[in-house]
Amino acid sequence: MTIIDLPSSAADQERSEARIATRIWQHAFASTEFKIGLVVFVVLLSAALLYPWLSDIDPTKMNIRAKLTPPVFMGEDWTWAHPLGTDQLGRDMLARTLVGLRYSLLIGVSTTVLMVMVGALIGLFAGYFGGWVDTVLMRLTDAQLSIPMIILAITILGVSRPTIPSIILVLGLAGWPVYARVMRSMVMAERKKEFVRGAMVLGATDLRIMFALILPLVLPPMMFVAVLDIARMMIFESVLGFLGLGVQPPTPTFGNIIADGRKYLLNAWWIATMPGIFLVVTLTSINLMGAALERARNTVYGGT
Amino acid sequence: MALGTKASQTVLSVRNLSVAAVDAAGARPILSDISFDIESRRVLGVIGESGSGKTVLARSIVSWLTAPLKVTAGEIMFHGRDIVTDQAYARTLAGREIAYIGGNPAGALDPTMTVGAQLVEKLSAVRPDISTRDARDKAIRLLEAVRIPSADRRFHEYPFQYSGGMMQRVMIVDALISDPALLIADNITQPLDVTIAAQILKLMRELNEEFSTAILFICSSLPVACDASDDVMVLHDGRVVEHQKPEALVAAPQHSYTKGLIAELPTLWQDGPASEPQSPTRDQQAIISVRSAAKAYYVHSRGQAGMSRVQAVRNVDFDVFPGDNFGIVGESGCGKSSLMRLLTGLERPDSGTILFKGENVGEASPRRLRELRRKFQLVLQDPYGSLPPQSSIGNILEEPLKIHRIGSRSERRDRARSVMAEVGLSDTLYEHLPTNLSAGQRQRLNVARAIILEPQLLIMDETLSALDQTEQGKLLTLFERLQAQHGFTYIFISHDLTMVRRVCSRIAVMYLGETVEVAPNDRLFFDPGHPYTRALLSAAPTLEARRYRPEECLLEGEPPSPIDLPPGCAFASRCPNVFDRCHRENPTLRARGNSALASCFLIDEHESGPIPQESHNA
Amino acid sequence: MFVVRFLARRLFQGVIIVFLVSALIFTLLRVVPGDPVRLMAGGMAPEALIEQIATDMGLRDPIYVQFARYMSGVAQGDLGQSFVRPASGAALGGASFDDTTRSERAEVLTLIAETAPMTIQLALLAMIFALIIAIPIGIWAGLNPGRWPDRIALYLSSIFVSLPNFWLGIVLVLLLSVKLQLVPAIGYDGFAYTILPAFVLAIEIAPFIIRALSVSVASVMSQNFIAIAAVRGLTQTQIVFRHALKNSAVPLLNLLGVQFSMLLGGVLVIEFIFDYPGLGLLTINAVLQRDFPLIQGIAIVTAAAFVLINIFVDLIATVIDPRLDY
Repeated sequence: MTIIDLPSSAADQERSEARIATRIWQHAFASTEFKIGLVVFVVLLSAALLYPWLSDIDPTKMNIRAKLTPPVFMGEDWTWAHPLGTDQLGRDMLARTLVGLRYSLLIGVSTTVLMVMVGALIGLFAGYFGGWVDTVLMRLTDAQLSIPMIILAITILGVSRPTIPSIILVLGLAGWPVYARVMRSMVMAERKKEFVRGAMVLGATDLRIMFALILPLVLPPMMFVAVLDIARMMIFESVLGFLGLGVQPPTPTFGNIIADGRKYLLNAWWIATMPGIFLVVTLTSINLMGAALERARNTVYGGT
Repeated sequence: MALGTKASQTVLSVRNLSVAAVDAAGARPILSDISFDIESRRVLGVIGESGSGKTVLARSIVSWLTAPLKVTAGEIMFHGRDIVTDQAYARTLAGREIAYIGGNPAGALDPTMTVGAQLVEKLSAVRPDISTRDARDKAIRLLEAVRIPSADRRFHEYPFQYSGGMMQRVMIVDALISDPALLIADNITQPLDVTIAAQILKLMRELNEEFSTAILFICSSLPVACDASDDVMVLHDGRVVEHQKPEALVAAPQHSYTKGLIAELPTLWQDGPASEPQSPTRDQQAIISVRSAAKAYYVHSRGQAGMSRVQAVRNVDFDVFPGDNFGIVGESGCGKSSLMRLLTGLERPDSGTILFKGENVGEASPRRLRELRRKFQLVLQDPYGSLPPQSSIGNILEEPLKIHRIGSRSERRDRARSVMAEVGLSDTLYEHLPTNLSAGQRQRLNVARAIILEPQLLIMDETLSALDQTEQGKLLTLFERLQAQHGFTYIFISHDLTMVRRVCSRIAVMYLGETVEVAPNDRLFFDPGHPYTRALLSAAPTLEARRYRPEECLLEGEPPSPIDLPPGCAFASRCPNVFDRCHRENPTLRARGNSALASCFLIDEHESGPIPQESHNA
Repeated sequence: MFVVRFLARRLFQGVIIVFLVSALIFTLLRVVPGDPVRLMAGGMAPEALIEQIATDMGLRDPIYVQFARYMSGVAQGDLGQSFVRPASGAALGGASFDDTTRSERAEVLTLIAETAPMTIQLALLAMIFALIIAIPIGIWAGLNPGRWPDRIALYLSSIFVSLPNFWLGIVLVLLLSVKLQLVPAIGYDGFAYTILPAFVLAIEIAPFIIRALSVSVASVMSQNFIAIAAVRGLTQTQIVFRHALKNSAVPLLNLLGVQFSMLLGGVLVIEFIFDYPGLGLLTINAVLQRDFPLIQGIAIVTAAAFVLINIFVDLIATVIDPRLDY
């Protein structure tokens, strides 16, 4: 039923238009929040990639004489050599923060990719086949979902030595259930559509329908929403670092810098707060882009 | 109908109304210069195709225009006061003096509140002087008036517990509960089955006499509008092109649009089939032979432990011979779709057999079934949902060949181009996505995809339902040509009696999962053997003089639930000719001579002469 | 009748979930490297003694034997005893070997029961704060999709969700507690110590509620029965407060049920930052001390809580929307 009978089939036609992904991009890119997010993110990303290299400062190099230098805008002892000051060992805070950002992004992105892949696969099988396959997979998903992810992660990382691959693996394997659920419901909706029935009547096999017909339709929209989870995973990474279960020192990460800084909170508050502000700005930029993409997806799918 | 004792009084007077879609790009007119009056107790029918602006007209009167739509000129006078300029006045009328019923009864009430509570809420909102207790009593009284069984119990039920037809009755109560002076009925029968829609129309006319309400009856079907209204107004491109009494309109249409509309209307009895289908030879082997097919589904139903068994298909028997056009008709829930899934081998029957050229489809191995699929193909209903999005037309057509590993890349390409030519799709579309195709072109593409495997049998599942008359005609011509060239056999699954009348040589009528009648075309329409078939024919919207009077054949009530079927004949609860035996035994299909079959106990007596009245007292 | 059958089915499913969770955690803890006995006994303990303790405790049996033994205990309400905590309090272990007999070690169930009320207090207060922040913003955004209230909600929730809880905790302690001395923090000495950690948690949860609520309110508002309600003569107040909000409550409830585990994850970190003596702090210490029985116990109890909360949420949802049939 169309509300107004005039532009009736236009909406239908737009919905069935090809390249859903392109249209989500266009919608998102038209929004202010996406542009703001993108600009901030690109600036921070280039800084993270270029600054430690251009400035030639080793983030792990200690300089006890320059320890606890305040940032440029306060105190008397500041110096342009250390725009964000130094920590208790005289290491340059800006370089440490930017290197931390690299690790944070690396882990955030890889973890998200991993969990989308695992979740999508499980959801695809559960949603397509239904019946006992669905029951078994969804009970597993419920079980996984009912243990707080962070308990699982710190348990595993706490008893074994955390490395970058093990962190990615643990966070990725802990985060898939949400995707499995989303994927399952999307696949179930697609499976009921006529073109799937059409393919069955033509004699297409289940695997062909799943991977050639349904997956290309449901994966892109889910990947756009996953952008929000990159930010969430970056927060998890920093929490792990803060608890001492992330990438181990001397490699700087947001988590271990802030954990160090907490000990000097009263006489050198910038060690804990400055990297935090960097992290918050980065995450906000990612979240703005993610939220814009999520909205674009809802618009394209005729949601709100 | 308007022969009341009170003098008729003009309730609504629309003068020079124009509505446009106004946005940054400018104003696009939707309605131009509309003028009409409605008097109390009168029904004014408005018809027009989609896009003619009839729904916008309805919404202008109930002050429900949303951006970008705007009234650009004219006035809508209700009891002599303009509601376009006086918004405050319009608000006091909403739901109180001007009531509205839409075409989507299922979504019209809050799903989380009981029907009764919402009726009372509405009445209290528009008439705060009425006590809750009185409101409640009035609601129950009106629910009884619209013949909702055990109204005081159903008062406490939720909207999802009502069927579409019952819900539309509730919406009629909702509209009339405040004793409005004007009722806008916008496409109210559109989502309903013909027999249910006929009940609603009958009800509306009765209530109109009782409540002295003026009714603006909007619909897209000319026969329905003529049946229901005292005057009919034809809208075309946002203008009133005709405003007449129904009889005059049909007899002497003035405007060319109305003339075309009437000429195009398909008929059931006046003309025979479009081209007399040659009777296929019945001595050869049947291409499809269905014997006592049955299929049940298990559904989880609320408030019941475990699963409930829904008997979707049972006692289905028919043969389709090569070169035949076989029709399967029935209303929603009659098991057409389930039967389609059995015929195409998507599901296997629980019992009975489905033979394709003597081979049991229901027992074929998955591998054999895949091979058989090349021989029978399905063309689906929804022109938009049936094509895989994001594939080019060429790819869509080559997909079946790839699945069955037929031909080389270039052979497949040539084959795709040749079927495109056959169904009348331009060769230049090969690389394109189906995005910009019209519904008719999409169905051509669907047909092309089905015939690329060179099947022998094509099953058309409501293939033409989404198309307008003209487009339907073109596709039917295409089907005929393809049949002549390739010798296809067609099975048309449809709810549209006029369509099957036009093309099918033999027709099966389904009710609650059963084939209740199987007969040749003329026999079915001129001498139906089953009371349900007669009811369907009497409810069919057509301008012709009816062969079956709705008063005699129209059904009361709704079909029983397929979850707990009563013993005996499933139609007994609605049958006008029911007698004792019907409640005990299920009549199966029995021969009536001349290869016609029907499942009714009255047949034996019918064929041997008139039935004595005593034998079937209800 | 419906309720009884519903509860029976869901509790049965819940038992399966808890069983799966136990199996998962149990296996994980046995396959990862790191010998808890070494930690318990201390670095100086001779190898033979470690082996003997391990054998006595059944830690050298095959995993499935250990698991069966453990689960039969769980079924009787016995979650075992902590490896490292004595019944009295402070953690054991370290360099000196302390040959305490097992009976003197703390019961896992007791440890959880002692700390859980603290965490429940924190979580409830956080939830109240979060709802106070999120409900008005979410509804306001949902009633004005695409307009500025919606944009404010979007920016606000994007910023909230970008604040790492541990960092926000540190900054707020520094500002509100140390510099301005408005609220106490660190440790627990009365209800006031719950306020700041609860607020930080609320900021973490609020954006999800804002987003869910604005989407569901907006989608309900675009439904046919809402549009038609005005034509039927209902007032705007009736439409929004009696119909729209009731219908958008169900998606929100479901979100709260699923987000429960996120809430617990947040509790863990917040309790660590604020040195708040709840279940979260207990968990982190258990992990750092490789106190396997305690970790298992906490995982099982939280999984059970998750199951119960979701049953409760679904039950309320069926009351609100009778169409639902779980």
